[in-house]
Amino acid sequence: MSYSISELEKAAMEIRINLLKLCNKEVIHIGGDLSLTDVMTVLWLYKINYDPKNIKDENRDRFVLSKGHASAVTSFCQAALGCFSPEDVINEYAKDSGRFSMHSCNIVNPFVEVSTGSLGHGMPIACGMAAGLKLKNNRTSRVYTVMGDGEQSEGSIWEAAMNAVHCKLGNLVAIVDNNGLQADGYIDDLTGLGNIADKYRSFGWNVVEIDGNNIEEIKKAFDSLPSPDSDVPTCIIAHTVKGKGVDFMEDLQRWHAGKITDEQLKEAVDGLEKAYSARWQS
Amino acid sequence: MSKSYLRNVIGEYMSVLGEKNDKVLVINADLAATCRNKTFKEKFPGREFSVGIAEQNMVSFAAGLSLEGFIPFVFSMAPFLTMRACEQVRTDVAYGNKNVKLISVYSGVSGGISGATHWGLEDIGIVTSVPGIKVIEAGDKVQAQKILELSVQYDGPVYIRCSVEPCDDIYEEGTEFSFGGSKTVYEGNDGAVLCAGVTIGYALEAVKEVEKETGKRFRVVDLYSIKPIDKQAVIEAAKTGKVIVAHDHNIYGGLGSMVSKVICEEGLATEFANIGVPDRFDAMAHAPYLYEKYGYDVKGIKETILKMI
Repeated sequence: MSYSISELEKAAMEIRINLLKLCNKEVIHIGGDLSLTDVMTVLWLYKINYDPKNIKDENRDRFVLSKGHASAVTSFCQAALGCFSPEDVINEYAKDSGRFSMHSCNIVNPFVEVSTGSLGHGMPIACGMAAGLKLKNNRTSRVYTVMGDGEQSEGSIWEAAMNAVHCKLGNLVAIVDNNGLQADGYIDDLTGLGNIADKYRSFGWNVVEIDGNNIEEIKKAFDSLPSPDSDVPTCIIAHTVKGKGVDFMEDLQRWHAGKITDEQLKEAVDGLEKAYSARWQS
Repeated sequence: MSKSYLRNVIGEYMSVLGEKNDKVLVINADLAATCRNKTFKEKFPGREFSVGIAEQNMVSFAAGLSLEGFIPFVFSMAPFLTMRACEQVRTDVAYGNKNVKLISVYSGVSGGISGATHWGLEDIGIVTSVPGIKVIEAGDKVQAQKILELSVQYDGPVYIRCSVEPCDDIYEEGTEFSFGGSKTVYEGNDGAVLCAGVTIGYALEAVKEVEKETGKRFRVVDLYSIKPIDKQAVIEAAKTGKVIVAHDHNIYGGLGSMVSKVICEEGLATEFANIGVPDRFDAMAHAPYLYEKYGYDVKGIKETILKMI
């Protein structure tokens, strides 16, 4: 579908509002959902080849949420695509026998390709899927996987990072949501992770660094992806802000996960709507 | 009795499976030679993946391949596959019921002089506790091949362990096996030795010696399907009033625990002995030395039977 930048920004705003509505009812990983919203909006509404009516289509693109706690933003993006409605997500989230929860589960939600939650798993699984596509001679599908930056501490990520290059997985696109925070605080205070882009580059990946909260830059990065039939995997380092778009949440460890009051919901939604109007309706 | 090295049998038989089914793949973490996968690798270029010394990635990678319709057979030594990659086995393979087959060599203390780092003392305990995985101990050439065939036909996760010690050739070509099955390899009603893998041959020899010396005839049952276990075979064994489990695994979490669970659940009264690794680590030694030390070789099983009679 062809979306203009303003339409994508509007969609991202609506997804953020849905996240906040849900966050008013349940504890969700709101900080990391919001940092990732722009990338996911562009991926799901603009880039990915995925038909909600034909989810087993051999030629679809695959998506693996390695950062499994960003399940809410994933579900709202899939809702925007028509997999189900945003109200379904809000009403069923964290409900016994509901389809949506803190981490995506394939047993109840067929739009989840792989159940995830424990970190460091999605990326190596995505590598296996990408290798499987190559083996089947599928030259057009891509496998997208989204990781957290805190998740980069998991050793299995780097086992997979080596293997992806060795297996020549040009059909693999790994996105790192580089919001700088993990559950316990700032990554730089807690780990020696350092420069993620340099690390992937040194492993032999095609690395693209973008402002991951800038729809235009995200779109450009997706437009410039090498052919899935190529040999080098791509890593998009999306520099983002945790809690992006909600003033009282931005860049705070406090909002890794949480719930908001009715007043906070109103304040946050007003802020998002005003920011959008200021950009596009003046 | 002739003997077979089951890792050779399995490694070679992968080529037969590969020939029959082009979805069958082999995944290695730098143990392709140890796991005897060189033939498969040469015969089917592109269908063997070596992921480096990276067991976690190996298992997750295989899960990904299975999502694309392939049937990956993942090979490693028992401790590495079930402990280094334990969470990957549980979360990436079992959760979601992926069609991945996990093949362990070096079961029990068969890793011998490599030392405890290479021993599979806990693998059955670990894998049987994971929901939904079928757990098999191969103990014979024909059996190993048949179990591999069954694994390809079955859509879901299977764990197969085998010893690097040679195992007696017990079964004739064409013998049928099944998930949840067992084989009575020696009839007897004075007691029963329940075993799997390398202990089958030891048990057979032990019961024959006991019979010669005392006239008491003990049954030998090969419980190759550890999960699901053949409950009826355990119940019938318990009816003899004397049950001995001999297995190459720690005494906690292995076949002994699986059998005792059935006996308890069924409310059966029987004498019971569980011989395996006696919940301790030891320095490296050759496997037969350790089997004797721990009491589940011919001599040890015989002594346990004689004590019970």
